[in-house]
Amino acid sequence: MTTLPRLFRTASFRLAAAFALIFAVSALILGGVVYWTTHAALEQQMNSRIMADFDRLRGEFQTGGQAQLAAEVRRTAGRPGALHELVADAGGTILAGDMTAVPQPGWSTIEPHRMPSDESELVGIRTLTVRLPDSTLLAVGDDLEWIEDADEAIFHAFSVAVLVTLGLGIAGGALLSVAFLQRVDAISRTAEAIIAGDLASRIPVRGTGDDLDRLSNTLNHMLGRIADLMEGLRQVSNDIAHDLRTPLARLRQRLERVRATAASVDDYAVAVDAALAETDTLLETFAALLRIAQIEGGARPPVRDPVELHVIVETVVEAFTPSAEEDGKILVSPRLDPAVVAGDRELLTQMLVNLVENAIRHTPAGTRIEVDLTAGSGVVRLTIADDGPGVPAEERGRIFRRFYRLERSRTTDGSGLGLSLVKAIADRHEATVSVSDNRPGLRVSLDFNLHDGASAQPAGGGHPVTAQHSR
Amino acid sequence: MKILIIEDDPETAGYLQTGLREQGHSVECVGNGRDGLLLAAGQPFDALVVDRMLPGLDGLSVLKTLRGAGVKTPVLLLTALGGIGDRVEGLEAGGDDYLVKPFAFAELLARLNALVRRPPLNDVPTVLRVADLEMDLLKRSVTRGGESIDLQPREFQLLEYLMRNAGRVTTRTMLLEHVWDFHFDPKTNIVETHISRLRAKVERGRSRELICTVRGAGYTLNDDPA
Repeated sequence: MTTLPRLFRTASFRLAAAFALIFAVSALILGGVVYWTTHAALEQQMNSRIMADFDRLRGEFQTGGQAQLAAEVRRTAGRPGALHELVADAGGTILAGDMTAVPQPGWSTIEPHRMPSDESELVGIRTLTVRLPDSTLLAVGDDLEWIEDADEAIFHAFSVAVLVTLGLGIAGGALLSVAFLQRVDAISRTAEAIIAGDLASRIPVRGTGDDLDRLSNTLNHMLGRIADLMEGLRQVSNDIAHDLRTPLARLRQRLERVRATAASVDDYAVAVDAALAETDTLLETFAALLRIAQIEGGARPPVRDPVELHVIVETVVEAFTPSAEEDGKILVSPRLDPAVVAGDRELLTQMLVNLVENAIRHTPAGTRIEVDLTAGSGVVRLTIADDGPGVPAEERGRIFRRFYRLERSRTTDGSGLGLSLVKAIADRHEATVSVSDNRPGLRVSLDFNLHDGASAQPAGGGHPVTAQHSR
Repeated sequence: MKILIIEDDPETAGYLQTGLREQGHSVECVGNGRDGLLLAAGQPFDALVVDRMLPGLDGLSVLKTLRGAGVKTPVLLLTALGGIGDRVEGLEAGGDDYLVKPFAFAELLARLNALVRRPPLNDVPTVLRVADLEMDLLKRSVTRGGESIDLQPREFQLLEYLMRNAGRVTTRTMLLEHVWDFHFDPKTNIVETHISRLRAKVERGRSRELICTVRGAGYTLNDDPA
């Protein structure tokens, strides 16, 4: 029973035990009061009975003297239900009665002794002994037995009550504690499983919505967040291991080859330029990975400034139009609703740039790329759609993975991190990203929650909707 | 000009020192924030290059203390691989410009030059002139040799930035930051295409080239009166 000491240490058990103790003490006090009042009342009653009998016998004495008194005592003493009586002469010789000894004058108690009538019982007797005018001693007594019986009954009743209270209290506390401990143990077991490496483990929730359930839900939520962060970290380590090692190894091989084969200063210059370019690419990849990790990890609280998304779309489309045209592609924004969302302007700009660049880079000449911003009923939708070759349906879920590249885009340069950054930025802005078929082509949609304009206005102060064409 | 470098990595400090001395600048280097603060507060410098991560007193604290003491020397902050919000923090602390490590020396030089020769705020010209190119900032009009050139708003902004920095090298990232407000490096050559469009309009039918490409660094508006 290793759980027993723990059981007694639980808060619920202690509480139950404390209550049981308080009830037990109350029962004891109540018992004491009942005992004393009952005992006093019974004694009072006994005294009255003794006094009444005494008065009756003294009446006999007054009419007939010692002889009549003795005769009367002989007649009544010892009868069932009657009191004990005794008559003795001045010398102390017992003349009549059923007491074995002559008590002291006044009220006294004769210690238990064996009754001549019933040898088996020990009974104390309370007596009133008075010396009558002719020195005759008259004693009247009553058995203390029935007071003792009453006392005993009260004592028993309350003893049982106290024991039952204590027993129920302790048992109830133990039961409560066992239930409590089981749930605490479930939390402990989950924590231990996680410590042991099972990050998917979660605390079972009973669904009753009680305080422990709420605590478990909060803890589960926290565990989920930690698991996400851990997963991100693990992925970054893997990414670095896999995708930075290869170019580094390639760089090293090249440098080695140049040292072995270079014949002129020009050869070295070419090699150094190539190495610089390769290093820059590596640094870029590294920076992009770190940036994604930072955005995903939430190293600092997200910026929640009001951002005019339509201005970003306008700027980005305008900035990339000449490059797109040079590539023989058309970049337009046919629909541009004014929309203000809460977020980080710099990150949102980068997100859109990555999406537009992605569309320009991975489509053939003649492709039309449309960037639309539609705002309505609390939702802002940013869509980047092209009519290029698109992405096969089974691949669409994967395009946001780090270093993911469609096989046909392997030949173009790029780190395969652009869309991962898009996803990270969208997540940070609580925007939903969806990828669908544009028939033909790829359509990427981002759904933002409309910024609550009442809480924060753009720095300019004007209502966002009026600022469609700010330039 | 006289430049103070506060940088704890001796290799980077040495690289900067050598490069800047070759450009004819007088350079002092210190390896920690406390010494840097004392030096910067005690002597006049034309520019400070401050690393953010420094032993003892970090770069931002040095900068805040200097600004608090009323030292207005232009400061270029250096930082390790871009953290989100680092740039904003640096500028809020009183930095004038911000450069992420690793950087090309040409980039640092171009930015330092831009910082030091930044015109005072109260001196706002309404007309910019470079050779026979004239820009009227109020009328938003551009003429070359008296002939009007029609520019898109962004092209106007691009040319304005180049004209304000005439004779100095302007890098691709500086243009991205000041003209488009892009604080990251797009993979697409948007600066090149915009420059080539601008060139086509500004240089059309002219023998003398105004907008020059500086190999490995950026662009410059040639203001030689030749």
